[in-house]
Amino acid sequence: MIDTLLQTLLNGAASGGVYALVALGYTLVFSVLGVINFALGALFSLGGYLTYLLMGGAISANGGLPGWGLPFGLPFPLALLLAAALTGLASLGVERLAFTPLRRRNAEPLLYLITSLGAGLVLVNLLQMLMGAEGYAFPATALAGLPDAVVLGGARIRSVQVLLLAVCAAAVIALTLWLERSRSGRALKAVAEDATTARLLGINSDAMLRLAFLLSGALAGLGGGLIGVSISLPGPYVGIGYGLKGLAVLVLGGLGSVPGAIAGGLLMGLAEALVPGEASGWRDALAFAILFAVLLLRPTGLLGRRLVEKV
Amino acid sequence: MQHRRQRGALRLAVLLASGIAGLALLGQQANPAAKAVPAALAPDGALTIGAVIALTGNANLYGQDQRLGIDLARRWSLSQSPQRPLRLQLEDGGSDEATAIAGFNLLINQGALALIGPTLSQQAFAADPIAQRRGVPVVAPSNTAKGIPQIGHFISRVSAQSSVIAPLSIAEALRRDPAIQRVAVIYAQDDAYSTAETLIFQKALTARRLPPVTVQRVQLADNDFQIPITAALQLQPQLVVISVQAVAGGNLIRQLRELGYRGQIVVGNGLNTPNIYPICQRWCDGILIAQAYSPELDTPINRSFQRLYQGVRPGQPPSQIAAQAFAAYQVLFEAVQRLQRRGGLAGISLGQAREALMAELLGGQYDTPLGPIHFTPDGEVVQGRFYVAQVRMDPGGRSGRFALIRNATAPAASPPER
Amino acid sequence: MIDNGLLVQMLIGALLGVSVYLPLAAGQLSLATPAFYAVGGTLAALLSTTWPALGAGADGSFPLASFLLELLLGGLLAGVLALLVGRLVLRLQGIYLAIATIALVEIVRVAILNLPFTGGAIGIFGIPQPFPTAAGYLLPALGLLALAGWVCQRLEVMPLGRAMAAIRNDELAARCMGIDTTRVKLTAFVLSAVLAGSTGALAAHFLNTWNARQGSFDTAVTMLAFVILGGSRSWLGPVLGGLLLTALPELLRPVGDVRLVLFGLVILLGPSVFPQGLINPGLLERLGRLGERAEREPQP
Repeated sequence: MIDTLLQTLLNGAASGGVYALVALGYTLVFSVLGVINFALGALFSLGGYLTYLLMGGAISANGGLPGWGLPFGLPFPLALLLAAALTGLASLGVERLAFTPLRRRNAEPLLYLITSLGAGLVLVNLLQMLMGAEGYAFPATALAGLPDAVVLGGARIRSVQVLLLAVCAAAVIALTLWLERSRSGRALKAVAEDATTARLLGINSDAMLRLAFLLSGALAGLGGGLIGVSISLPGPYVGIGYGLKGLAVLVLGGLGSVPGAIAGGLLMGLAEALVPGEASGWRDALAFAILFAVLLLRPTGLLGRRLVEKV
Repeated sequence: MQHRRQRGALRLAVLLASGIAGLALLGQQANPAAKAVPAALAPDGALTIGAVIALTGNANLYGQDQRLGIDLARRWSLSQSPQRPLRLQLEDGGSDEATAIAGFNLLINQGALALIGPTLSQQAFAADPIAQRRGVPVVAPSNTAKGIPQIGHFISRVSAQSSVIAPLSIAEALRRDPAIQRVAVIYAQDDAYSTAETLIFQKALTARRLPPVTVQRVQLADNDFQIPITAALQLQPQLVVISVQAVAGGNLIRQLRELGYRGQIVVGNGLNTPNIYPICQRWCDGILIAQAYSPELDTPINRSFQRLYQGVRPGQPPSQIAAQAFAAYQVLFEAVQRLQRRGGLAGISLGQAREALMAELLGGQYDTPLGPIHFTPDGEVVQGRFYVAQVRMDPGGRSGRFALIRNATAPAASPPER
Repeated sequence: MIDNGLLVQMLIGALLGVSVYLPLAAGQLSLATPAFYAVGGTLAALLSTTWPALGAGADGSFPLASFLLELLLGGLLAGVLALLVGRLVLRLQGIYLAIATIALVEIVRVAILNLPFTGGAIGIFGIPQPFPTAAGYLLPALGLLALAGWVCQRLEVMPLGRAMAAIRNDELAARCMGIDTTRVKLTAFVLSAVLAGSTGALAAHFLNTWNARQGSFDTAVTMLAFVILGGSRSWLGPVLGGLLLTALPELLRPVGDVRLVLFGLVILLGPSVFPQGLINPGLLERLGRLGERAEREPQP
């Protein structure tokens, strides 16, 4: 009984960590701009593919370029960080193409949904063309030295899931500390709370916005690389499902709330882990049923603050 | 102002409506079925075979293998000194129903003699009725759902249902370990193929008095199976029977092993692709699989297929999906050549040629990379041989092979599947 | 070239665009249209394949009257559902409403996949046909679109339509003006659902088959793109957007594998080029003024 409970907790934490990471990615942009970046799922995929490439993994581009790969291979931790940074840059590109032109024209926030979705569509289809539709597994050296699984009492969890949870936790803690303690982090928070006052205080809100996109993309890229090492890259659509779940988590926790995103992620992971096997077909509906119920009881999510109507 | 805007909207609506009416008239093209089939030696004597397969969307993984298989068959056909040359026209059928319908309509209107596709069974139920109504032969390379050939006379398939194949691998697992008592079943519930296959697996298990101790449902897009696996392993199964698609299956096997499962694993036909090797690596070793295609089949046509395949993807064995796509083009090619030799294509219209081809197709015997096949009058494939293989991975764990352990001959005249 | 089959798909796109437009005209960003579309389609697929009284023939034919009845029933069921759900979700604001409706879409999708009578992954197939060719569907699809257009056009001069516009401009002010905002929003939501349900019933016959994949998150946002690119200030915007964006991937076939990248680029860059959409009030006004300019407004 205790074992079952422990197992459920572990299962929930393992998937919840990634949900929280994605939700944080949304949160960063939302808190500054008040809109949702629908391209985040595609950036998540991109991060996975970049990590794979940087580790020296070969692609085949649907047989067009069999065995093509970079001439070098980085160790996994380095590749993961570099890929996250590159995904952050790609996220800046998304900002430049999908967000900046609309911001200049002071367009309706509704339009951002569409342009960011378009950016995601372009990214995923480019990945499919350039990388191919095949599944790719990371080189076995990625986790060399780790045992297959960790046994805690009667509960078992794959080591890679523990690693995944640890990295997610580290990223979340680092981000929170940075937001609270550092100069630029507090500037970002200030812009998120009140852009006009922040501007009066001499904070460059445009730079902060770019910073938010960079970090949000980097978080998504980190998630993609971690999921890639855990379950391989099943195809360019790998990030879309996580993007959608992350969206549910985001709203569940409360838009724009960092602790909300984390709590929401863990809660969602746990709830999914509690679904009995016989009803596992309904698992995907559960996330959204919870979301639906929470929204009806608390229209701004669990930890959200009442926000100014933006969309 | 409001008034003007209303009037403007009305005018624009009328403009749009007349535009739609114009498109509707223009779209009513002359039916190419009435046109005469050109003589074989005429400059435009090549007949068009259309293929509608998934080159975009999440079924693209299969679509790419199918594109390759069809193209290899086309190259192979050129070496057979055809009396009636064929032209291949490939269209993206996407992974949804609407795109498949659009692809079928496009090729039928352009005068395709016959069609190969679409990739998914759900798409077939949308697009095949259109080909049926317009009298265009369809050979499905990968649709395995129940009821596809029954859509109509013009619909056939070379992809055998799993009903014959699946129980073979269960039998093999029980032969290896007759003491098996507890069986767990895992399948992808939103995948047409896997849901059909798991029913057959479960029936075969129940017939041997081994009703599964748990049935775990997962989704096609799932790749993290921590939850269903730990749930299943709590019941201490001695055999796990899996029906999911390729990459997810590789992950499922790997995670089963990583989480400590040591018993036998039987997997369905969806995993009959070397695409799983890089995913589950050394953990793949030893799984049992029932196959509709074995790369190890030693026949001249399979050797030709393998040779062509090696030219494009060196070092990789072909997947079942590619082999079935090859067979789909091959049966059409051979039926057209037979018809041509008998003079059956002379002086008739395209519509009549389509009908004649369908009759010819269903009447023939074919020696394909899948083994010898023919069709029931319904259009269901009757495949002579099925295989049970065990995966043997290289010591490095990056590549491996499906080592043939059983070469089962299906009953000669198996009744059509219903 | 655009054949009749593609034209029907384009009209279905236009109908769904109008369905997303209706709540938006009352300032509500609802993405629930695919859920109601799925409900209508499932109902039609079930009725026509299992209820002999509707008169499906052994040869796959289907009486026109039964088909029209299904359009009605599909719209009705979706409307009733919208009435129940709408009371709950319409209390939500802005993006929260959008996400709650996306949640609804996912719940309906999983339900259709799991319910014992909807055919699981394969869905329902062999749906009988009221028309021998795709061209037959043109008339009911156009009829439905004309009806929807007529309603939207009438709305602009009716109190309900004016109330919707007032809520869109400023909900608080509208409430102060004595407008029963809940009622108005709910009406728009139900109208949208009825249209989506009927369209689903039509699409089920047109597609020959129906399954859980027909209403999903992706389709929800694609439909929103119809409205945004076409223009969200007039019902003609989503019509034009739906027609064009449905046709675009098909017309891009000659470019081969990059066609969906190009399609994505159009969605990515379109709103920046036409922030008001292709059809905006200014354009309509200019169109309405054509012809009267010569008489009443002589240009200097």
